[in-house]
Amino acid sequence: MSKPLEGVRVADFTMHAAGPFCAHVLSLLGAEVIKVESAMRLDIFRRPHPVYGRMDVSPFEQVAANKLSVTLNLKEPRAVELAKRLVAISDLAIESFRPGVMERLGLGYEELSRVKPEIVMLSISAFGQTGLDRSYPGYAPLFGAAGGLGYLTGYSDGPPVEIRHVMDHSVGMTGAFAALAALLRRRYDGRGQHVDLAACEVASALIGDALVAAAFGEEPARCGNASETMAPHNVYPCRGTDAWLSIAVSNEAEWRALASVMGRTELAADPRFRTCEDRLKNVAVLDEIVAAWTSSRDADDAARELQALGISAVPSWNAAQLANDVHLRARGTIVDLEVDGAPRAVVGSLVRFSKSSCGLRSGTPALGEHNDYVFGDLLGISRDKRRLLERERVIY
Amino acid sequence: MTGALAGLRVLERSSGAAAAYAGRLFAVCGADVTLVEPPGGTQLRREPPFVPNAAEPSALFTYLAAGKSSSVCDLATAAGRAGFDAMLATTDVLFDDTPVGERAALGLDPQRIARDFPAVVFVSILPFGAFGPRADWRATELGSLHSGGEGYLTPNGLAIERHPDRPPVKIYGQFANFQGGTAAATAAIAALIARPREKGQFVDVSVQDANVTESAIALQRWADGVLETRATRSFRYGGVLECQDGEIEVLTLEQHQWEALVQLSGESGWADSGDFDDSLERSRRGAEINRHLRAWAKRNRVDEVVRRGRELGVPIVRYASPGEVLGDVRARARGLFANVTLADETAFPVLLAPFQFSATPAALRSAPPKLDERRREPAHV
Repeated sequence: MSKPLEGVRVADFTMHAAGPFCAHVLSLLGAEVIKVESAMRLDIFRRPHPVYGRMDVSPFEQVAANKLSVTLNLKEPRAVELAKRLVAISDLAIESFRPGVMERLGLGYEELSRVKPEIVMLSISAFGQTGLDRSYPGYAPLFGAAGGLGYLTGYSDGPPVEIRHVMDHSVGMTGAFAALAALLRRRYDGRGQHVDLAACEVASALIGDALVAAAFGEEPARCGNASETMAPHNVYPCRGTDAWLSIAVSNEAEWRALASVMGRTELAADPRFRTCEDRLKNVAVLDEIVAAWTSSRDADDAARELQALGISAVPSWNAAQLANDVHLRARGTIVDLEVDGAPRAVVGSLVRFSKSSCGLRSGTPALGEHNDYVFGDLLGISRDKRRLLERERVIY
Repeated sequence: MTGALAGLRVLERSSGAAAAYAGRLFAVCGADVTLVEPPGGTQLRREPPFVPNAAEPSALFTYLAAGKSSSVCDLATAAGRAGFDAMLATTDVLFDDTPVGERAALGLDPQRIARDFPAVVFVSILPFGAFGPRADWRATELGSLHSGGEGYLTPNGLAIERHPDRPPVKIYGQFANFQGGTAAATAAIAALIARPREKGQFVDVSVQDANVTESAIALQRWADGVLETRATRSFRYGGVLECQDGEIEVLTLEQHQWEALVQLSGESGWADSGDFDDSLERSRRGAEINRHLRAWAKRNRVDEVVRRGRELGVPIVRYASPGEVLGDVRARARGLFANVTLADETAFPVLLAPFQFSATPAALRSAPPKLDERRREPAHV
């Protein structure tokens, strides 16, 4: 089976997490993604990350698997010319520098569209390509904070919460959608265009409902795990260390079923808990009752028992549990990839298609691993010329 | 100018936020999206948060359904299924979150759709997908967040320091479902791009898969031999800082950013000794750095430190409330919001889209539809 984006080529000028994840999603869907990087300034995953507590380099399959790697020192005019030639044979160019950097490099949209008028270019930045804050830098927790998602996340009596890598990757996934929408449009009108994606606006899009409420004068606030319409609705301790089960009861039948499973059928008739409204009023006591039941149980066993009764009960799985999860393995979502002779659990595919395949071909490329293929086979630069450009730190 | 997806026709059967968000992404890009609702309307019309005094009480439904039309089809009846099929005949994409076990009886069996409507891209969006041992499991937003790994890891930083024994806390709203919806919309376009080669096809999207993919750095860390937890995942220093009048986020990953932060907060001289010049040393002594930063922040006001920090090049922002986001001059100038008018003529801003196309701008063409309010447009792609 072919991949849905087979034949689509992406020139990937991104760094850190949001942009690289965007290009990674496209690669999972079958695009040929050429990551442009440089020994002059290594990708953050190719060097230690002390603020994060990672003191070593890491394979970074979660944003780099499947990609081809080329090295270009974009401070060199000849490298910029090579980058333009790469864009000329690509369908999409993606970048995540601060606004203005690509222009200074001679690789802004105006210039690239002269090189290839039908190019679709996606620019990912913290605050967008226009506006007062365009030049400010940002990382995932700042996107979440500025966009409102961090403010609304947290315990009702606690501080706001940093939204971490999923914030970056949510930006990247949204970027993949927008880039493909522009690419699909091009199929019909033949025109390229520039797509401007602001990471903090992705965070705001994730609180779009709260923004509607605010527009009507409401003041949405942090509410922990509470729901306005469901009780029980919380995360409860289970047997073992740091083991938890999320339970969400959405109607009276589910509540009666839960009470029965807990061996507390009398609770269904208890006036404190009879209706959802009653349970919401007495949610603190209710949570204690449910926690007393879950705390002696294995989270997976309890989830299976409750799911059989139609109750949304899902364990709070950690990475080790997900890596070995039977369901995810059956779907091909998690696969083992051989890295340095040993298997590593990685995300193998994002979605399943009935007629197309989707997923991994290879792991994280070595820095410049595909220089010969891209500059030689695709761009037709002779071996001797490539070696010269390497010696002169253009291909570097 | 029309939207990037103008001319595409989409049917959306959604009882949850994931499928509805996929439909929303198509709608703001110009696709003609019809929400196919059961008699009485989709469950989403009754989901929080609520705006009690508005003509449309569910803020979630308003956000997700603006720009769409509505058609009531009772798929439990032959007439309803016939009406649905008539719409499918001119449809490009079907988003559907009907549980697998209920599909056949409603005429939504993927084989039947593929046989009768071979050009349709049928995108199934379910908490655990349409295939696999847990395909029949249910999950609300809370469950989906925990199914993908991020639930286990939230909160971190100051919140977990303050409340180390509390259960994990969910990310606001429909975060996990929106990731599933974005993955579904992305996969739908990929299938449309492949359509000249493959015709229509069935696309099986799992909200869990989307969230596992997005939280895969924890998987990567585990493969490196480190199992991340809420406590160990925190940044070594910086993060949420409480000022006199609100909170800020500060994160310095580069040396020059750290030096700018020292300049910003160094009035007391705590960092003058040079002890923290080395990034590895800073990582080891993060708690000590945080004591200084937190004391400094407490003495200052948000606007002032954000303004000065930005002048110096410190990555620093305010934790903005929804009201502050709504009133943000920058966001308004960028056209982040579009005005929508409800049936009672109440006009209000709704977030349009987090992306801007230079040639095919996004748009919200209408308010959320009343039940069975049809506005289907002719296809022209």
